[in-house]
Amino acid sequence: MAMRISTEWVIPVRARWGPLATLIIAAAGNLAFADTTSSNALPPPAAPDVDQQLSDATADTSPNDPPGEWRRQAGDYANTRYSTLTQINRENARRLKIAWTFSDGAGYGHEGAPLVVGAMMYIVAPFPNVAYALDLSKPGAPIKWSYAANPSPLAIGKACCDAVARGWAYANGKLIYNLLDDHTIAVDVHTGKEVWRTKLGNVENGETMTMAPFVAGKKVFVGNSGGELGKIGWIAALDVDTGKELWRAYSAGPDSLVKIGPEFKPFYDWMKGKDLGVSTWPADMWKTAAGAAWGWYSFDPTSNLLYYGTSNPSPRVPAQRPGLNLWTSAMFARDADTGAAKWAYVFTPHDEWDYDGVNENVLLDIKIGGQTRKVLVQFNRNAYAYTIDRTTGEVLVAAPFAYQNWSSGFDLKTAMPVVRPDKEPKPNVKVTNVCPPDIGGKDWQPSAFSPRTGLLYAGIFNICMDVTDHPQSYIPGTPYDGMEMTRTAGPGAHWGEFMAWDPVKGRKIWSVEEKFMTMSGALATAGDLVFYGTVDGWFRAVDDRTGKVLWSQKLGSGIISSPMTYLGPDGRQYVGIYAGVGGAALVSKAMPGFPPRGSTLYVFSIDGESPSSGPGLLTTEAGGAAMHADATQTGRQ
Amino acid sequence: MLRFPTHRPLRSIASISLALCVGLAACQPHGGSTSNPSARALPTEGQLASLPLGALAGAAKVLPAEEVSNPLEGNPQAIAEGKRLFVSMNCAGCHGYGAAGGMGPNLTDSYWRYGGVPSSIYKSIFEGRPQGMPAWGRALPAQDIWKIVAYIQTLGGALNPQQYHAGLQGDHDVTSTAPELHGGLTETFNQPRMLSPSTNAPAQ
Repeated sequence: MAMRISTEWVIPVRARWGPLATLIIAAAGNLAFADTTSSNALPPPAAPDVDQQLSDATADTSPNDPPGEWRRQAGDYANTRYSTLTQINRENARRLKIAWTFSDGAGYGHEGAPLVVGAMMYIVAPFPNVAYALDLSKPGAPIKWSYAANPSPLAIGKACCDAVARGWAYANGKLIYNLLDDHTIAVDVHTGKEVWRTKLGNVENGETMTMAPFVAGKKVFVGNSGGELGKIGWIAALDVDTGKELWRAYSAGPDSLVKIGPEFKPFYDWMKGKDLGVSTWPADMWKTAAGAAWGWYSFDPTSNLLYYGTSNPSPRVPAQRPGLNLWTSAMFARDADTGAAKWAYVFTPHDEWDYDGVNENVLLDIKIGGQTRKVLVQFNRNAYAYTIDRTTGEVLVAAPFAYQNWSSGFDLKTAMPVVRPDKEPKPNVKVTNVCPPDIGGKDWQPSAFSPRTGLLYAGIFNICMDVTDHPQSYIPGTPYDGMEMTRTAGPGAHWGEFMAWDPVKGRKIWSVEEKFMTMSGALATAGDLVFYGTVDGWFRAVDDRTGKVLWSQKLGSGIISSPMTYLGPDGRQYVGIYAGVGGAALVSKAMPGFPPRGSTLYVFSIDGESPSSGPGLLTTEAGGAAMHADATQTGRQ
Repeated sequence: MLRFPTHRPLRSIASISLALCVGLAACQPHGGSTSNPSARALPTEGQLASLPLGALAGAAKVLPAEEVSNPLEGNPQAIAEGKRLFVSMNCAGCHGYGAAGGMGPNLTDSYWRYGGVPSSIYKSIFEGRPQGMPAWGRALPAQDIWKIVAYIQTLGGALNPQQYHAGLQGDHDVTSTAPELHGGLTETFNQPRMLSPSTNAPAQ
């Protein structure tokens, strides 16, 4: 079945869509992936191969932070979320117990992970984005300082998916993070005082910032949210020490705004041509294109390329915007110094289902056909797992990792999905059982990679939707949206699943079905463990080879954050995870057992041992008080 | 007529609204509506502006809110147009297509942060609210806002004007009331008294 787009809109370069060819995965020794009729069925998982490396994928873990610290959300530039610590391992994981906890008092969804630098832990809470520095060298990890910026409450009503903060960054003695109201700020970690503040957008226009700033070298990279409010997407580079904006690249519009120039070399013909960010839209609609860059960023220091994805196109009523809608639901490789685009790939051209392209791109080296290829792997919202050559943008593997029926296959020659016409939303018509739903086969919850197994680990969804499109007009500051949805569990009735994935063969190795959504990030460790959490609050440790769940602990709220691990000043390994449900997990809030909001960080150790508990009258000394401890009384939340 | 200050994106709004209005009854180019389904006078802006948010100082009874009803309440044409406006003005984008909430609050239940009587709902739409609700008073004619209120009043959560105090007191769903509250001691204590601002002492 050919991909259908409106023929009214002439685009300079039109790819050819013929009848669907058989879906092929180009990798040595692989199975050809299914014919179109059974393209929804996933290949059976491979038999577990205990104590053998299951894929030969490797990763560059630059900048190789000290192993006992957790200096960045993704662990390293490549986004492996992997720790070399081994004190907590397969043999003793069942003895994990809570060592200490910290409540930041903020009610909105908690999506970020604490950072540990030396003996200090840094946390930024969701709105109003109060920051805390905890002194791990003292019992009870007391507050050393707390800082309250004053973000505008207007931002709360412009955030599509809860007033969250998806992470924060550390660089050069500064804690750098985004306020929901479009400011990026830096706080000196020694004094707790604000060092610089940069305004990136105007909140009354419907623009917010929720993403975790990404530091590479002397730059911090930030991007906007607002894909449901018609805000044109962008990514910007700021100087780490001054906050000065160095460059900004937009996700639509003329090449000059998208920073497409002579060095731009996309792999596929349908992405070549002048000003495609204008011509693939009806007149002027690129100005409200969305393509917000609200997800995870990764970086290859050898090529100096920054990788990130763009959100859905706007409005979320595809009938209003015929055309391929470049460069939304896509990803870019950009030169980190100049922002110049090197290549791009559009996962879901003319995206009709809100399949943002913003999920993490994990940078790996894998052997394909006897050759080592530098690749990236993204578990896209559209339920396909892509292995892409990160130097050229060539798609090497595209295989569904979750149940999907919006496409009947993938044409590897053009690297375009083949859309099923009966799953295309239409104005004022209810289209039923479209899978995955807007939030995808996987949303932003990030995967982890273990070099010990060569596998990726991710929480994914098994969800479908009924969708009715309502044509929308653009009124700045209000949603430019139009998708009315009801979401239900997919086949099998479970909403979540945690899986291990082989990025070379494009195949699931094992998975754990979960009743509730699995919307936490993953953490992989050299102790042969993978950690994840569920929306109803179960935190689990799993054997990285077999998927056997070795340990579980119920926490006080649902888990939509990412686990991290560090060595305390006492030489003990700890695992930390926030429990504070919210965000897009709220789509399942009617499920019995759906928890209330939470604001607590749980830190675990073997037998729960730490200086924070034990016999006798333990005390500690703090440096500062929690800012706005009275937040709910004084209306600051 | 939809009145915005002159502002470039709004010419696109006008053209898109016009495009969307083709085929829909009673559409003007700027996205409002032309029909006038009721001859009852609309409350004046001054009358509405004097209505408080919350309770009056001194716990005085707030009569004006009880007196202001929605002149379009129960009017089928107004309700239908209000429902259309709820989608076309992007209310549904934040409050949900069933108005059961999303980015913005649920409008079908009986919890109203800023009041659930018709005049309170009107004012929230007209004035906007600090956590992101835009102010529509300059963009939409009063009649259109009352139509939207009329639609919201069909969703099950809105209060009657006479329930303003009950709303403040959390009595939407009261099944019984303590006998002391039936005009007893507490009523006597709560008689409004004029306070003297300069001395903070009640005037004698």
